[in-house]
Parts: sequence; structure tokens; C-alpha cells
Amino acid sequence: MKGFSNQFKDLPDYILKITKEIWEDRGLATLHHYYGKDIPMRFPSGLVRGNAGVIDGTLATLAEFPDRQLLGEDVIWSGTPEDGFLSSHRLVTSGTHTGFGAFGAPTGRRFTIRAIADCAAKNDVIDDEWLIRDVGGITRQMGWEPSDYARHQIAEEGGPETCVRPFHPRDDVQGPYRGQGNDNEWGERLANILTRIMDKDFTVIREHYDRAVRTEHWGARGDWSWDFAETDWMRLRSSFPTATFAIHHQIGRNDPGTPNRAAVRWSLTGKHSGPGHFGKPSGAEVHVMGITHAEWGEWGLRREFTLIDEVAIWKQIHLHTGGVA
Amino acid sequence: MRGFDPKWRDVPHFIIGITKDIWEDRGVGSLRRLYAPGLIVRSPAAVVVDNSGVIAATLATLAEFPDRALLGEDVIWCDDPEGATATSDAYLSSHRLICTATHSQPGVYGAPTGRRVTYRILADCAIRDNAVYDEWLVRDQSAIVRQLGFDVVDWTRDLIAREGGPDTCLRPMTPANDVPGPYTRRGNADDWGQRYADTISAIMVADLGVIPARYDRAVNLHYPGGQDGLGWTDADSFWTGLRAAFPDAAFSIDHVIGRADPMMPPRAALRWSLHGKHSGWGRFGTPTGAGVYIMGICHAEFGPFAGNGAWGEPTIRREYALIDETAIWKQILLHTGAHA
Repeated sequence: MKGFSNQFKDLPDYILKITKEIWEDRGLATLHHYYGKDIPMRFPSGLVRGNAGVIDGTLATLAEFPDRQLLGEDVIWSGTPEDGFLSSHRLVTSGTHTGFGAFGAPTGRRFTIRAIADCAAKNDVIDDEWLIRDVGGITRQMGWEPSDYARHQIAEEGGPETCVRPFHPRDDVQGPYRGQGNDNEWGERLANILTRIMDKDFTVIREHYDRAVRTEHWGARGDWSWDFAETDWMRLRSSFPTATFAIHHQIGRNDPGTPNRAAVRWSLTGKHSGPGHFGKPSGAEVHVMGITHAEWGEWGLRREFTLIDEVAIWKQIHLHTGGVA
Repeated sequence: MRGFDPKWRDVPHFIIGITKDIWEDRGVGSLRRLYAPGLIVRSPAAVVVDNSGVIAATLATLAEFPDRALLGEDVIWCDDPEGATATSDAYLSSHRLICTATHSQPGVYGAPTGRRVTYRILADCAIRDNAVYDEWLVRDQSAIVRQLGFDVVDWTRDLIAREGGPDTCLRPMTPANDVPGPYTRRGNADDWGQRYADTISAIMVADLGVIPARYDRAVNLHYPGGQDGLGWTDADSFWTGLRAAFPDAAFSIDHVIGRADPMMPPRAALRWSLHGKHSGWGRFGTPTGAGVYIMGICHAEFGPFAGNGAWGEPTIRREYALIDETAIWKQILLHTGAHA
């Protein structure tokens, strides 16, 4: 791992270890080393610049959920030490709401959700990032409906004029990472599946998914077999039927000792003009940032993990309708 | 696959295919061909001899849960050269299924509740001549019972009564009522199987440090009662809770398969048993001194991310362990007499 500390054997080792060191072992200050000073971090909730913001955000989260754990389920990666790596890191995070914070006064409630972080790494430093947390999942587990919580967020942030704007590509900045992944066949397969879904060709699920597939989706919801996957993707697409679908980054891997797998970052940009996951069509212009991970077995796609941030979507809808009170 | 219908490409295809044909597509009568005459099906609840018994039990299940779907999650299998005959190859298949069903008709679970249930089955089947000829099966009964809205102990107590009381009820499987079958082999010699067997054996002698060493820190866990868990703490609490209830019971690994297939992560299937007294505090409450036999089957998938050992040392990334808690409670209740 040229350019990286020799304590790291490979990229997954680097990602898993620094995640633990920074967030679980309280090495917040190491972010000055591990995170670029001007790193652009794109959350569905908005764009954040620079490691100082990350440090403060982390501290606030730890104050609210001091026992937070981050268990790294997978690292699907591409690139080289010379050109830079891109790591798509899937985590399960859990914690107890014992402090005051974004969810208000402590409730003692526990949460368990997934997050996927796409991080660009070069010379021992993360310098570009896209991160989706299952905010809808944590919100429900804290006792809120995502739509109500988005309204609450707008009010807490000073109302519709001054609140933080959810991420939209028109606000994006060009960071140091310019890669688009690799050309491995498994990445291509997942990109094709997502493209067919977004082209409303839902036969793709029965064609490519194992009958016993396990699908884990936003809102900390999951189920077995084809029906859940079909219905959930239909409800998402149906909410934004004319939105433009784009694939931004695509990785496939066949590593010894793991199933063939893929990570794709994608988006939908357009009008909330149909029924589905987000209630009555509002006509709001919405950007949906999504990341999907998949694993294949001998009989097709065996596990699918997809995250979007429902609260960031509701926030865009409320800001459009003015239904913020 | 000498001796098998040529429409089956390999062992998983045969197992998943006949499972669908028999149970979902209603070819129940074909059990007369696909299950060998005199076949023994051992489940923790009972030892059933002959395919006629299997047909009766299948009809009872389908009558109660007509829409039951059987989703084949995995088939971990091995060659059985000793079992091969002049006409057929032989194999042992360890099949993991997810079952989903609606409790829409009356049956062994009582009046229909209309509830949806999702539970796992692990079934070890010895196969040759296009048929299953010996079987060990663990169904996650406590998951079904809980999802139907019952308390597991109360339901089991009631089951004893519905089966005619302690003297006439079905006896759970024990070495005393087990029937030796034709399949006597113990699996294959693959390293992944051995690695998993060593891990569970270490846990059973209370070397719990093996969990952070041999399990991925983010291991996904699937345990009896439909309980899912995550990470070392949950693995530790399941295995410790079980062993603590039967601290002096004899543990034995009865069958081990390991596989490294190109399209799959390395994986393993174990069948094991605990036999002895319910003499400790743990998963089964106050120690009763009841003599208990537990048949367990578990599957593991390995991954590349280290536990607390050296980077590069593979660890267990997903574990599926099943025992039948209702069969254990039945043995405890029959011992204490607290079944009334």
C-alpha cells in the first residue's frame, strides 16, 4: 500500500481500522490526519466541506449516542495506491439515545441501522466522500415518522429560508477523486439490473435474483424472496416516475474467499410526481442519492443492500409544498 | 450424478428442485418415490419411520398452512463414496431453507390465527438412486410458536395435553428412541468444516475467547426463535446461554461438511448434539435436572476480514444455528411434571 502507513495490509484493513480508531476508539483528533482539510462530504442531507465540520459532527453524534458501534460488514473497493482508491464501506451501526441531540432529549431508545460510505483514499488520507446513513431507519427507531422529523429539522434549523439544503447536484463541487470505479463484470451486472429497474422493466428481479434472496432496504426494512424487492423498487420509482436516473460510480469484485459482489452509487433527479414511498405526489424537485451493494451466489443475486435517506427526501418535499409547520 | 434423473444438474439442483416439486407444487405423493421406503426422519420433536409418516405429516402442515413457500437459501453438500452403489452415486446434503406461510386453517397450532410466519429449517438428507434415504431435520419451532403469538413454554405444555398427556404424547428424539439408519458417515475432510467444528467445540468447553478470534466483528447471526444478532456479543450470549443451561452435558460433533465453491464464500455445515442434565441457569430458566437431548444443525459462511487475530485470517461472517426449543421444553416439562 504505497503512500499508506505500513500498519495497513490492504485497503479493507485500512478502512476498517481507521473507522474503529476515529469513531469508536475516540480518535476524533486523528481526523486531522486521516481526513483531508478541505474534503467534500456529500450526505443526502447536504454538502459539508472540510475535516473540522466532520470532527464537530462526530462529537455531536457521540454526545448523543456515546456507546455507538460501527461494525464493518463489507468493503467493496477499486483503484490503486498511485491513482487513489475508492472504498464502498457498508456498516451496521447501533447505539443508545442517552444524550441530548438531533433527536431531542434522551429517550433511552436503541437503534440499529446500516450506512454505506464511499470514500476516496490516497496517501493515507480520505479526501473525497459520499455517505448515506439510513436516517429513515434511525428516525423511526427513535419514535418519529420521517416526514414529521423532516418538518422538525426544518424548524430546528431556523425555518424554510435558513435551514440546511439537502444535497442537489447543482451545489456539488469537484473533489480530488475523478474515478468511476472499475470495469469488472459484476459491477456491470448490478448497473444493468438497476438500469432495468429504473427503466420500469421489473421482470429483471425474477430473472436475476435468487428466489431466496435477502433484500435490506432503507428504513431498516428487509425481507425474503422476490416480492419485497419488486414492491419496494416499484414504490421508489413510482414516486419519481419521470426523474432522471444516473449511475455515478460502479465497482465489481471477485475476491477469493468472498462471493462475487458489486457496489454502485446512483441517483434519481426530478419531480415527485407519483404515489409510492412518499405519499401524495407534490411536484417537488427532488434529488435522491442511492448506493446499492449486491452479492451473488450460484443461483443469482443472493443479497441486496440499498440505502437512500428518506428524511432528506421529505425535507425537499416539505420545502416545496411549504407544509413545514 | 449417476443414478439420478438427468434433469438434475448437481446436488443443490436436485435438493431445491425436489423440495419445490414435493412441498410447494403439491407432488406430495411423489414422496413414495423420492423418499425411500423405510426412510428415517429424525427431528428433535420425534423420530418418524417410513415415507408414509412423512406424507401424513406433510399433508397436516399443508392443510394448516396452504400457502407455505420454501425458499432454498443454501445447500452445503459432500460426496459419500462409501454410500455409492452399483447403480448410483451418493451424497449428503445440508439444506437451509426459509419458510414463509400464513396460519389460515386449524391444525397442530390450534385454531387459525391468520398470522404470517417466517422461519428456518435445516435439513440433512442422505441421497442416492434419485431419492432421500436417511434424514435429520431441525425446524425453528419456537420461531413459529412466537410468531403465532404463543409463549413457548405454555404452548409446549398445551401440546403435551393435546397429545393425550405425559404418558401418550410424542416423545422427543433421544439416543434411546433414535433408530440407526443406513447413513453412518461423518462428512468430508475439508478444512472449512474442520475450522467451524473446532470453533464450536472450543465454545462448548467454554473457551469463549474463540469468538472474537474466529468470528468477524460484524458477523450476522441467525439463531433459534427467529432471533437475529450481530457481532461478537450476540454470538457470545447465544452460545453461552445454551451451554450454561447444560454445563455437564456431553457435546458431540456428529457430522461436518466444508466447501470452497467458486461462486460462493467458503462455508461449513455441522450437525451436533448435547446430551445430559438441565443442571444450570441459562436459556431454559431454573435448572430442573431433566435429562435432555438436543440435536443442533448449524451453517457458517466465512469471509476475509479478521477478528481480533492477524489480518488475513478468515473469520465467520454469517452463522445460522438451529435447535428446537419446544422439544427441549417438552423434555423439561415431562421431567418436572409441570406439564399440567
